Amino acid sequence: MKTEHYRILEKSKITDFLDKLNTISKIAAPVYKGFNNYAFQTIKSAEEVSLKYIPTVIPPKKYFLPTKDSLLEFTVGNELKVEPTVEYENLILFGVHTCDIAGIRCLNMVLSDKPKDTAYLIRKKHITIIGLECNDYCDEFASCAFVGAHLPTTGYDLMFTELEDYFIVHIHSTKGSDIIEKTGLFKPAQTIHMEELKVLREKKSAIFNNEIPTERRYLPDLFDRSFNASIWKELEQKCLSCGNCTAVCPTCYCFDIKENVDLSLQAGERYRVWFSCQLDPFAKVAGGIDFRRERSARQRHRFYRKFRYHIDRYGMVFCTGCGRCSRTCMAGIKLKEVLTSLIRESEAKIWRKWL
Amino acid sequence: MAKVVIKDSPYNLKKAKILDIKPLTEKEKLFKLVFEDKTWLDFEPGQFIMVSLMGIGEIPVSVCSSPLNRHYFEICVRAVGKVTNSLHKLNVGDIIGVRGPYGNGFPIKIIEGHDLLIIAGGLGLAPLRSLILYAIDNRRDFGEIHILFGCKTPGELLFEEEIEEWSKRLDIHFACTVDRADPDWKGNVGLITSLIPGVDLDPANTYAAVVGPPVMYKFVIKELLAKGLPVDQILLSFERHMKCGMGKCGRCQIQNLYCCKDGPVFTFKEIMDMAEAL
Amino acid sequence: MSKPKVAFFDFACCEGCQLQVANIGEPLLDVLDIVQVVEFREVMSEKWNGDFDVAFVEGSITDEHAVERIKKIRERSKILVALGSCATIGGVNGMKNSFDLEEVGKYVYGESYKFFPTLHTKAVHQVVPVDYFINGCPIYQPEFLTVLKCILQGIPYYVPEYPVCVECKLNENVCMYDRGVTCMGPVTKAGCNSWCINNGNICYGCRGLTINPNTEGFKEVLKNYKIPEDFLIRKIEMYNKCKEFDKS
Repeated sequence: MKTEHYRILEKSKITDFLDKLNTISKIAAPVYKGFNNYAFQTIKSAEEVSLKYIPTVIPPKKYFLPTKDSLLEFTVGNELKVEPTVEYENLILFGVHTCDIAGIRCLNMVLSDKPKDTAYLIRKKHITIIGLECNDYCDEFASCAFVGAHLPTTGYDLMFTELEDYFIVHIHSTKGSDIIEKTGLFKPAQTIHMEELKVLREKKSAIFNNEIPTERRYLPDLFDRSFNASIWKELEQKCLSCGNCTAVCPTCYCFDIKENVDLSLQAGERYRVWFSCQLDPFAKVAGGIDFRRERSARQRHRFYRKFRYHIDRYGMVFCTGCGRCSRTCMAGIKLKEVLTSLIRESEAKIWRKWL
Repeated sequence: MAKVVIKDSPYNLKKAKILDIKPLTEKEKLFKLVFEDKTWLDFEPGQFIMVSLMGIGEIPVSVCSSPLNRHYFEICVRAVGKVTNSLHKLNVGDIIGVRGPYGNGFPIKIIEGHDLLIIAGGLGLAPLRSLILYAIDNRRDFGEIHILFGCKTPGELLFEEEIEEWSKRLDIHFACTVDRADPDWKGNVGLITSLIPGVDLDPANTYAAVVGPPVMYKFVIKELLAKGLPVDQILLSFERHMKCGMGKCGRCQIQNLYCCKDGPVFTFKEIMDMAEAL
Repeated sequence: MSKPKVAFFDFACCEGCQLQVANIGEPLLDVLDIVQVVEFREVMSEKWNGDFDVAFVEGSITDEHAVERIKKIRERSKILVALGSCATIGGVNGMKNSFDLEEVGKYVYGESYKFFPTLHTKAVHQVVPVDYFINGCPIYQPEFLTVLKCILQGIPYYVPEYPVCVECKLNENVCMYDRGVTCMGPVTKAGCNSWCINNGNICYGCRGLTINPNTEGFKEVLKNYKIPEDFLIRKIEMYNKCKEFDKS
């Protein structure tokens, strides 16, 4: 922690900061939607922003990988013309929690893997991320400490941490320091501020306890033993296959590709839309065979995508502990409970072996 | 919002012209294609391409011509869905979009020097035809070549003239069967598995390449194992729903494997412990 | 090439879906560029005696006259499209099927009910083959255009096989169940881009049930939200009563 990388913003000046930021670029920030729901939206004034919020309905991945994303534009007619395009804009995301930053890092990993997803990478280059650290749990669904996403590590341009009457701001990129300069509201951090930040982090380590009765490093083993666990059968009864859990997940990126032609039938676009492994047509092939027909297999697939398969492929756990899937599930499938059940069943099996 | 053209997008297409269309059966047609920019498709047998009809959709299709053919490439398409039905309505001279090739094909360099047992069920002959043509063109690089082909009825026989030719060659052991015969059929009747016990092979020195409908694999593998074939010498090509072809869209995932990127050709060893594979 | 001849017909319905077509706004001019509307009672007085390339049929089939008429329309049409809930799933007209037909007749027409013979309500595909389905009460205009384009391209249109929730979530709406309101989104076929919920309304289930609903699981959900099952069944029956005829 180098003091020169930190700045101080008095709390009373946060409105000024946001309004000034808004003159520099378009800003998207968490906005209250009622009934304990929040959403990232572009804002007109600082008043709209909720500094204290629980994870938004859908994560900020929507700015990196829009729900509907044009891949190609084409004209048919006399000559076939095809042009791959990307739409992007300069955007500052303000108030992104560390769990959602972890989610964007997962997407970066997948979409910069070869062959690179050029559209994603161009869009990402134009987005600035200003994080906002959580000093306490948002609610009982979060499991960010288990996956280590409760602390800022990397993946942002600026990170705001709320202390007594000021924010201490970590500058993590030139994009970030440009903002500090252009807005001109920040003071250099001093040793006392750094001390207070350290105290907060210590306090946090007491508040944020591993929410799951195992450690991250045991996940591969746990999941290798759990393919036929009984919990999957239970989920068969519960799950409605509505696809909410995957739509709200910050690390889900599966998509469908569709076409849209205009009424002349001569021109149109090919685009991708978010899609979900929980839905009926996902793994169906042309002949009608569905390779993941049971709801239990689909739910299992979701959990393995988060906690097992991508560890092999990308060396990362693809869960950020944001708790969205549990919060949104009408059937009450809760990630923490599912993991705990896997652990208990696995432990019981091991004990039986020994006895 | 700014919009730019990204020429290096992995979704960009190359234009391919239809040189010839040959109906093979009631439902299957063979399309002979060439890139408009005169480049050729550099692929391995077993790899697939994404074929586009703009405004209608894009589908994965395996290439079924010889990879050594630098003049054109061929795909065999069964009319089953939206895109394939529309493809069947096209004419010679029409232009379609192509990207690829994608995936891992049959490991030719590893197979060379060994005997080759080809087992094709129905449309599964298409990707295998590419391998057969390659092996015939490089006949000396392979030991014994056995081709077993099965389909539901005589009317569904693909590449009839070529099959005729293969069956006459002295350096290929060819056998064919249909599930249900018609009065004119003089060949074998029965499932493709019934042909396997009769093949005289040296299991340690044989690679089997199996492609067919999903239901076929379990039974064929059982027979091959009974013959003593090692698990890493049984090569299977899988069909899954693919949208991107690049391991991103998630549609074709078989547990931790992407059919499009890690396959579509797998050894039985790679997938034998995977419940979702077979 | 001459433009395809298109006609619109109505059976038992409110004609609201045809109104949605007539009221489609700017795209209407582009539509008229590519098709020739030869019969559309709601907007024009001309009639057509020949065959149709495409016939859009709104409304459900509720009496013998209707059965005869839809059969004739089918004979004259290359492509028949069921337009709106009444045509695709029977819609609200299906509520009649919960009662005895004689009782229904008496309730509506009094003692002279025998002069107005009636049948159990059926969706169009339960009487004649249907080529395309445009669900909704009323239809969702963008979907109408999508289906029209598919027809002209000669390709099938697949109604999404997943629930409205999928589209609703992507629109980042606050879930109706979070608001404490019962919504049919979780069991209703998508394709409407969660039109009603985007505008603050609940989903009434007008597009019909999803293909593979987890009925038992949904009952559990209702229990958790303290929603009585028969309340929900009545909600489902509002649009989906004719589904019973699909089994036969």
